[in-house]
Amino acid sequence: MSSAMASVQLNGTSTGTPAAAAPFLTDAMKLINSVKTFIFDCDGVIWKGDKLIDGVPETLDMLHAMGKRLVFVTNNSTKSRKQYAKKFDSLGLNVAEEEIFPSSFAAAAYLKSVNFPSNKKVYVVGEGGIQLELTQAGISHIGGPEDGDKKIELAPGQIMDHDHHVGAVVVGFDRFFNYYKLQYATLCLRENPGCLFIATNCDAITYLTYAQEWAGGGAMVGALKATTNKEPVVVGKPSTFLMDYLASEFQINKSEICMVGDRLDTDILFGQNGSCRTLLVLSGVTSLDALQSPENSIQPDAYINQLSDLLSAKKSASA
Amino acid sequence: MQPVLISAAKPSTAAAASSCQTPFLTDAAKLIDSAKTFIFDCDGVIWKGDKLINGVPETLDMLRSMGKKLVFVTNNSTKSRKQYGKKFESLGLDVTEEEIFASSFAAAAYLKSINFPSDKKVYVVGEAGIQLELKQAGISYIGGPEDGDKKIDLAPGRFMEHDQDVGAVVVGFDRNINYYKLQYATLCVRENPGCLFIATNCDAVTHLTDAQEWAGGGAMVGAIKGSTKKEPLVVGKPSTFMMDYLASEFKISKSEICMVGDRLDTDILFGQNGGCKTLLVLSGVTTLETLQSPDNSIQPDAYTNQISDLLSAKKVASA
Repeated sequence: MSSAMASVQLNGTSTGTPAAAAPFLTDAMKLINSVKTFIFDCDGVIWKGDKLIDGVPETLDMLHAMGKRLVFVTNNSTKSRKQYAKKFDSLGLNVAEEEIFPSSFAAAAYLKSVNFPSNKKVYVVGEGGIQLELTQAGISHIGGPEDGDKKIELAPGQIMDHDHHVGAVVVGFDRFFNYYKLQYATLCLRENPGCLFIATNCDAITYLTYAQEWAGGGAMVGALKATTNKEPVVVGKPSTFLMDYLASEFQINKSEICMVGDRLDTDILFGQNGSCRTLLVLSGVTSLDALQSPENSIQPDAYINQLSDLLSAKKSASA
Repeated sequence: MQPVLISAAKPSTAAAASSCQTPFLTDAAKLIDSAKTFIFDCDGVIWKGDKLINGVPETLDMLRSMGKKLVFVTNNSTKSRKQYGKKFESLGLDVTEEEIFASSFAAAAYLKSINFPSDKKVYVVGEAGIQLELKQAGISYIGGPEDGDKKIDLAPGRFMEHDQDVGAVVVGFDRNINYYKLQYATLCVRENPGCLFIATNCDAVTHLTDAQEWAGGGAMVGAIKGSTKKEPLVVGKPSTFMMDYLASEFKISKSEICMVGDRLDTDILFGQNGGCKTLLVLSGVTTLETLQSPDNSIQPDAYTNQISDLLSAKKVASA
């Protein structure tokens, strides 16, 4: 697995000429026939919070029955693959751990791909999911939620000690973010030679509860970009790291993949960066208005209301 | 607010090869004669932590006796002007409150300059200095250190309320930063129509204790940039807001000002943005190596070791 990160678009292009408006998908069968693999975002596509979106189990079953490979990619780094598998299970969906790729997993996979030295550690500005994936990958780590209660004494001459064996700082969504962790990570990045700065994702907002928008991982990453004047290696969408990883892992041709998601600047851009087909669902955070707004420059190949719209392929097949 | 250079442009290779190195100041008398006003940064110029740098009192006395106006401008927003006045006093320096311009004051002054409506409030992501200055200016505020202990409980459907009367979020260095404040500020900026996003400063690191570098106000600003995808209005150095303010306040011509500081990307750039003369001192965070490094594109008019080097003008005069 090459450690080289393809240079990718992190924002949509803002050219003078807007991209052609995405059409509503009328021929589901044609789309399904043209691809071998479907990559699904989770939140807003498969579930909303802890509730399954209706028609999802039947749709996934249909695609399985048609011989399609199904993969699930999420920027949410708070859970590990194992924990996500439990969530799928609790919702009655038959999805194996190996089919799930959260950004917590991506961070650990990236470190393995660059042969992160076994005598080095990771400092975690993030939650349990990242810690579990690092442990799973045999990578030592410190920090995480446990540092959320730490405070600093600022007496004259006060020095904050930091571990010189930290060879990477992994930053993701962190509800326990505080000055201690910010400073610890800053010291590691500024003072430990060659210390890597890895971001699980840069999402400005996330949907912790569906009642409203919540400040996302992009906030924690933004703080550390500012104190270090460094750009992080982003392993989550829209970076193609996970796309390259699973294409290599499953021996899939990217042109035969369809990326299905509800967010333009992560899911759809991820698919476009990987030269896959892209399908937007309106069952999540993006409204038709937002898709069709003149300010939007990211146009998927097509859009549908929700995943179960693909079931029309079954009807047309039996028509 | 005029658009200003926040970071220096990187010179082309050819320009870098031929750019003049900053000279050591040999003729202090000449520099002093050419300026009517001296603006001093504080940390690394006047004091280091809580210790006065030697020779400072005599130097300031000499300049005053030569009829120069002295002004002190600091990006540190943790104290108000009044509190800084006390610090100067405790170090035996005769400096009045009206001669001190902290970025906490700048934020309040900016809001007054745009006639911030009296029925609006400010949400403070920062410390007491900002709160005190807002109070002094008659501006209502919420947030601040008191929100440092607040946590969010993320039960399904959980909704965080926010005050719809918040018309500006002021962000500065904040040792009590946490997710609650990030989220509250994010909601205000994203959802309250016309809500301003003001940064006291964007310093990557600051010297809370002189033992090491500490993550600076830039981190808090970076976090909210990350969650709102908006650029803040910066009132502290190197933005010229404070320069314009005091030039207008004291009726000073900017070309007759000499800015003296220890940081290239805030102090010296501030002076250059304002069209002033600039003098770098090496008694703070910048070393001669950094000044002369090929990676540095900010060249002051001259440099000296510490401000007491200016006392050589006195010797010349009495020679």
